[in-house]
Amino acid sequence: MAKVFIVVEHRQGAIRDATFELVTLARELEQRYGLEPVAVVIGHRVRPIAATLAKYLPETIVVDSEALENFRYETYAAVLKDILEKETPLVTVCPQSAFGMELYPRLSVETGRPCATDCVKVEMDCLNLVVVRSIYNGKINSRLVFGSSGGYLITVRAGSYAPAAEGETAGTIRDYPCPAFGSPFRTEFLGYREAASGAVDISQAPFLLSIGRGIKDVENIRKVEELAERMGAVLSCSRPVVDKKWLGKERQVGTSGRTVKPKVYLAMGISGAFQHLAGIKGSGVFIAVNRDPKAPIFRAADYGVVEDMFKIIDALKEKLGS
Amino acid sequence: MEILVCVKKVPDTADAEVVLRPDGKGIKEDDLAFGINEWDNYAVEEAIRIKEAHGGRVTVATIGASDSEDVLRRCLAMGADEAVMIDDAPFKGSDPYGIARGLRGAVTKGSYDLVFTGAQAGDDGFAMVGPVLAGYLGWSHATLVTSIAVEGTKVAVTRELEGGLEEMLRLEMPAVLTIQTGINEPRYVSIMGIRKVRSKEIPVVDLATVGLAAGEVGANANLLRELALAVPPAGKEAEMIKGTPAEIARKILDIVKERGGVA
Repeated sequence: MAKVFIVVEHRQGAIRDATFELVTLARELEQRYGLEPVAVVIGHRVRPIAATLAKYLPETIVVDSEALENFRYETYAAVLKDILEKETPLVTVCPQSAFGMELYPRLSVETGRPCATDCVKVEMDCLNLVVVRSIYNGKINSRLVFGSSGGYLITVRAGSYAPAAEGETAGTIRDYPCPAFGSPFRTEFLGYREAASGAVDISQAPFLLSIGRGIKDVENIRKVEELAERMGAVLSCSRPVVDKKWLGKERQVGTSGRTVKPKVYLAMGISGAFQHLAGIKGSGVFIAVNRDPKAPIFRAADYGVVEDMFKIIDALKEKLGS
Repeated sequence: MEILVCVKKVPDTADAEVVLRPDGKGIKEDDLAFGINEWDNYAVEEAIRIKEAHGGRVTVATIGASDSEDVLRRCLAMGADEAVMIDDAPFKGSDPYGIARGLRGAVTKGSYDLVFTGAQAGDDGFAMVGPVLAGYLGWSHATLVTSIAVEGTKVAVTRELEGGLEEMLRLEMPAVLTIQTGINEPRYVSIMGIRKVRSKEIPVVDLATVGLAAGEVGANANLLRELALAVPPAGKEAEMIKGTPAEIARKILDIVKERGGVA
């Protein structure tokens, strides 16, 4: 039977959440097209991780070696190339994350298997594999079909599938030998470091006033700082504001910044990139102010206001008095 | 230090309405503003900073037509030394593999220590060209790079991970690095600056010059074929608050109070 492999993403001993979303995808491909789902765990001292996956899927392959201690595309691509050639899965999926983005395009070249990145849906049409990608800032969906190949590589956008509930499966765990690495490595892992450190912890704030690209000018930051103070909110922001160095990285909400769950999230001038929206899942009430009525943020917010954010800021200040 | 930066002209769709063409095979481009891909702008700035610190040259390359010339001139005004345009006619509809094949030819014609691309493009967002190009060249690569320090024949970089975490790596050169936004503060480009480079020659090279034959790139060579474009289904919509700014402000404050904010 044709198989779908999930390359399990884990870091510092913990399985990354996106992996459980891929379990849901793999189960869907199993139900609809009869693909057999298999997890692949690569790393060092990863038995506990494999044991967890075995609760979700009928089979888990483990490659455990000291050489695989920290993720590098060089070692992982070599291991996966060996596995894909011997096990010949039809589809091999992994998250579109810093891990998948580093690994999959390169793995595609090394194995000759075509890759589609950042997919939001994976389907089969007869014997062809079809994917949907979200492009132009989430405003258009592109449906793509792969040219024929012995196997396909797909990375999946976080949040595209619901995470699988913890399973009762008693799956088998199969040890797979780590292949010998041929040429000397050209990359070296040195360590991790915290990029976002500062006095403010936005993840603890019950009320966040969050600003995005719509703030337009560094001069306007003072206006929202004032408003935040008067409203009793903590100021946070989306990526473009941090990229411009107008606020510190510790205030960034989203995948690469902080994940937050305030009681109230008031977003102004934020268009709603999925990386941002992924950071506010489970917030209490979500109000969005944006000039563009088609901004993706209105598909995620509870309340929407189509208006110039500065008009609303002024009106809020007036209501609050001095 | 010889650095090649691969850039692309893209429409700004972050704050604009995107409408499908009637044939459904693309988007209406007339009302969109085009410019250098945001990630590429940071890549150009980073290359120029490395040149300023270590000496060497910066070349920018694009696969494009005459309408991409302004993007290359902007890079020259920022401080790039050379620009080259690979004629995009045979690349129409190319997937990231086709684009990477074209760029491979531009890389192998020079002798570069580093090649930069943006971490992704603001239009199709594949984030594939950089690491695929590295694979074709057999070079080392790092994606989502947030800092670069040249150390002799090696380069130390940080990569952006999730949750405010970064990883530190050291790579042997030559290497392909894909640059994340926020790595630096790109310099301002003045009209005067662009005027100064207005007469600088920008060679346009054809497919044969980058070592490819017709049919090796373009839609027919694709591993990924686009079937259809569509506007995503609406899904859940927010409840819209309407009225004057004052009325809207009142309603917002009510919701905040009711739901446990403190205003």
